[in-house]
Amino acid sequence: MIFKCKNCGGNVIYEPGRGGMYCPHCEGEDSEERIEGGTLIQCVNCGAPLQVGNYTSAGRCGHCGCYIVFHERVEGGYEPHRMLPFRVSRKAAEQALDKEFSRRLFTPSDFLSAKSLEKMEGIYVPFWMYDYKARYDYAGEGIRVRRWTSGNTEYTETSYYEVIRKMDLDFEKVPVDASYAMEDGTMDLMEPYDYGQLQGFDPKYMSGFYGEIYNQTAEELEGRAREKSRSASEELMQGSLQAYDTVRAVHRNLDLEQRGNYYALMPVWQYLYRYKGKVYQYHVNGQTGKVVGTTPVSMTKVISYSISVFAVVTAVCCMAVRVLEIL
Amino acid sequence: MREYFRYFKWMYLLLAAVAALLGFLCLGHWGISKMLHYERTNQSCVTKERVFDYGDVLTDQEENKLRKLIAKREAQTGCDIVLITLQESLQEYARQIEPGVGYDEFVRVYAEQFYEENQFGYDRPNGDGIVLVDNWYREEDGHIYTWLCTTGRVKEKYSDQAVDHILDNVYRYVERDPYLAYKTYVNDFYHDMLGIQIFHLYVPGSVPWIMGLLSAVLFAVCNGRSKKGAKTTTALTYTGGAQPVFRVKQDRFLRKSVVTRKIQSNNGSSGGRSGGGGGGSHGGGGHSR
Repeated sequence: MIFKCKNCGGNVIYEPGRGGMYCPHCEGEDSEERIEGGTLIQCVNCGAPLQVGNYTSAGRCGHCGCYIVFHERVEGGYEPHRMLPFRVSRKAAEQALDKEFSRRLFTPSDFLSAKSLEKMEGIYVPFWMYDYKARYDYAGEGIRVRRWTSGNTEYTETSYYEVIRKMDLDFEKVPVDASYAMEDGTMDLMEPYDYGQLQGFDPKYMSGFYGEIYNQTAEELEGRAREKSRSASEELMQGSLQAYDTVRAVHRNLDLEQRGNYYALMPVWQYLYRYKGKVYQYHVNGQTGKVVGTTPVSMTKVISYSISVFAVVTAVCCMAVRVLEIL
Repeated sequence: MREYFRYFKWMYLLLAAVAALLGFLCLGHWGISKMLHYERTNQSCVTKERVFDYGDVLTDQEENKLRKLIAKREAQTGCDIVLITLQESLQEYARQIEPGVGYDEFVRVYAEQFYEENQFGYDRPNGDGIVLVDNWYREEDGHIYTWLCTTGRVKEKYSDQAVDHILDNVYRYVERDPYLAYKTYVNDFYHDMLGIQIFHLYVPGSVPWIMGLLSAVLFAVCNGRSKKGAKTTTALTYTGGAQPVFRVKQDRFLRKSVVTRKIQSNNGSSGGRSGGGGGGSHGGGGHSR
């Protein structure tokens, strides 16, 4: 399917900066008309043959440049339960990237001006989200150590406690990306998203962007969600044991009962930059603007800045010592 | 460069502030020193000599320069400042006076006896003053010993730490330049006596360099790692803001054990010592090399 402008017949796209549909040809707003049809091999707009990837649910015709949403891949079993429309526009994403590059101290000074953009696209990345009810039973021996000195004797008092905890916790929508193309570590760093803006699926939000269907099923990916929930439960349990210097666990049992899962599309801007013959990939959270990706490191900056720190700290310390000696 | 100065702006401002404070204090110090002049009231001292280079480690010219410096510092501090270098075993001498005294305290016995026999003290016999005895002779135990003996007002003012600080500074130079070492002794003493002494803090000279090096390494490591991004989720991110509910939260006391340990006092060769000797009352401490 595609979205055409009722006024001029141009391709209407979703524009995050305006928060609505927009025709770049006649600058009409909310003038879209949904045109059904087309297949995975033929453009619904111009009829040109298409080459669509195994998991592509939305893309662009290489011939007419029209953004197409493939209905076979957003309907039935592939219809997302939820989606988060882009909130960060392309311009805002680029500003977030530039800000991040400037913030990273050892990024080469000419990186901003010398890098060249290889690729830039907004992608709806498929995610599975899981709800869990966690029940954590913990028993152990807690040890508190107190030391004090009286006269020329040092006392060490060690107190032992029986520690029992039974903790309940509900996890809601623990996300796991379901795209082979997206690296798991990178997608984890993109979190969190504001779930308050999650809404039902509407294909119009995909016009102007690329998209994928889930590459793996909820069952295949559940292990990662379970591990995230287990890790969070463990952290919260350890937080309740902080009154002790050490705790030796005697019994621990975490039961994670899955209460449901959702298929959702989450917005991500993907940028590829080339700098001095090497390609650098960045991802920007399409809702929050958070940037993930490594920048090159300038050794000249590392050395010169470190020498400055050494010189200034040493000078300040020398003078501070002298001041204290005078006083 | 603009980026560099923008980043280091606060650090350079801090540097400037500390430099200004130091300049202000030094100016005040200099002003006070110009105003100070103590009148000597002890007329019983048997000698006017202050530099006793029995060990012959200084040239005549260096001795004269030290005499001049000491005369100036004595008037500014109101304390006798004495320097003795030796090149002989003090074992027999010290054990005649204090039988059973340890190797590290031969110089202490010598210093106290010397001070008392010569009736040193700026205000009265055995009064305010300091004497440094540096015996270049290697005693039977293989060490060279140095003692700083404090008396009167100096004893009250000088803590063990302060004594260690002067001796540390003397030892920093003494092997390669004895004159510089003894000059440092006289000047450090002057600065210590002139100081307001709000802080009794003595920092070894290497500490600022170590701090600088550690800061630079830490700075390079923290900023130099090319990180993808920071983790911005917490354990409560996916609980909808709800805290965990503890159905059971029980902490039952089982038992307690108490272990005691006697603290051993540390009597190192570089430690300070306070005590009386003969008719006077002296403090001080020693180092060995």
